Amino acid sequence: MRCFLGLSVLLLATPALTLGDGLSPPEGAWVYLRSQLYSTRAINEIGDETMSIEAPGSTPDPSATPVVVHFGPALVGKLKQVRVIIDNNPSPLVTMMSLKSGLPVNEIDLRVRIDRFTSVRAIAETGDGHLEMRSTWVNASGGCSAPPSAAEGGMLGQIRFRPSSDRKALQFSIRHPNNSGFQIDPRSGDSIPPHYIAHLRLLEGTEVVMEADTGISLSENPTVRIATSEPLRGPLTVEATDAPTEARYTGTWEGGGLAAR
Amino acid sequence: MTGGAAGGAGGGAVVPLDVEEVAPGVFVHRGKPLALDAPGHDDIANIGFIIGTSCVAVIDTGGSVRIGRALHAAVKAQTSVPICYVINTHVHVDHVLGDAAFTDEGAVFVGHELLGAALARSRDFFLQSHAADLDAPASAAQIIGPSRSVAIGSDMALDLGGRALVLHAWPRAHTDCDLTVYDASSGTLWTGDLLFVQRTPAVDGSIKGWLAVSDALASLPLRAVVKHVVPGHGAPGTDLARALAVQRRYLQGLADTVRAQIARGEPLQDALQEARRAPRSEWLLWDATHPRNVARVYQELEWE
Repeated sequence: MRCFLGLSVLLLATPALTLGDGLSPPEGAWVYLRSQLYSTRAINEIGDETMSIEAPGSTPDPSATPVVVHFGPALVGKLKQVRVIIDNNPSPLVTMMSLKSGLPVNEIDLRVRIDRFTSVRAIAETGDGHLEMRSTWVNASGGCSAPPSAAEGGMLGQIRFRPSSDRKALQFSIRHPNNSGFQIDPRSGDSIPPHYIAHLRLLEGTEVVMEADTGISLSENPTVRIATSEPLRGPLTVEATDAPTEARYTGTWEGGGLAAR
Repeated sequence: MTGGAAGGAGGGAVVPLDVEEVAPGVFVHRGKPLALDAPGHDDIANIGFIIGTSCVAVIDTGGSVRIGRALHAAVKAQTSVPICYVINTHVHVDHVLGDAAFTDEGAVFVGHELLGAALARSRDFFLQSHAADLDAPASAAQIIGPSRSVAIGSDMALDLGGRALVLHAWPRAHTDCDLTVYDASSGTLWTGDLLFVQRTPAVDGSIKGWLAVSDALASLPLRAVVKHVVPGHGAPGTDLARALAVQRRYLQGLADTVRAQIARGEPLQDALQEARRAPRSEWLLWDATHPRNVARVYQELEWE
């Protein structure tokens, strides 16, 4: 139930948001979350070679905006945890991701819903407690209430892997509506209740190499891509937990080439 | 002259929208090739009306109540036959926001069976982002849902007196609620946004669906008798097959390109980068529309 509690706390944070003057990014949610999550700890925000975040400033699709977080040599192999936060989303915390010590991750990509003009930020914590944050601004609206796309349907929980040709990146996607609770059913006109992937685990055998709390800010068919400085070796298993059903979906990448069609 | 609808908020007389008679009794106002957020964005779609001996059918009403009133005035400048029907070809703002200008006359609003729900889910967006295109204060009452709807895959005939319109509701293509209107007496096919001419086609429904519907339109038995084509955007013409082929080239090329990117394992962000770097095209408003299409099509095709 941890995930539900996490979500409701974040929803409670929403009234604390203040609209900006339209020129400077409003940071209401971040001010609140920073004190909640990191208290008064120092967070470094300078240096593209250490860490950077990219998202299209005017996203072509607010309901599926790619966010790319790069980590430089100073952080590769030292990451312990990464949070991605969309300040002005109804549920700002996109994910809190924990990584196995020593995993040489140099990039994490997500596909997210953008509800309105917002900063998108990533905060990385190393094993020795050092914090780095980078942010970027996205002009978009409506990503949380966008109707299900043409790709809706299919087999709920099906997991598809797409490794890069050099095996230094692996994308996995879960066939799932990831309904935000702010969408309307095109047939009935009724509101669609929240139904999302709440937790993800990536396992090498029985060892967890990556674990993430997730929620409604991930796009339909939640998609995560991880790039590493060394080629990935399979088999790797993804385990995704559904909320509210608590159903668990699993899929395994055996380490081969492009996913079979 | 005209009734309440023409007595607009400004108080002055409403200037009738300029219309062209593309076939006897078939009047089209040409929308302008402007961006969705440009000044004049309420006048970008082709809208118009067809006059029978007992009824007028209005087809799409423009992107504001103001444009709707000007279209209403254009009808009244042509005929005293009453407006019995207002047909919306799909849910997009540039085609439906003028609907409120036609409520005083008791017209029946007609659309695809999914149009009502599509309008319901667009309501907040219309009220927030297009408040200035509605009468102040913007209200949900100005967004008119269809009182008569056409089931997917089926036809509905509307008798205008001396001429019959055949409406057809399509499966998901440009949107999930696309409707075409065929006037047999003049051989005019009104495609809504199932056909874009000059303006970059916007994929808001399904690329695979749209390609299938394009083929269905191109092979319709009525194709042989279509003499006039009114696209949702761009110049009306006479050659349906050619206009569809031009559009198909773009849609098929888009699908092929994105499929290849997915097959190579390129993530969405790389596909979007390539879309922005793609050579400029003759299609209008390419920079705004093409990357968005790539984002949509990528998500649709990655689960094939």
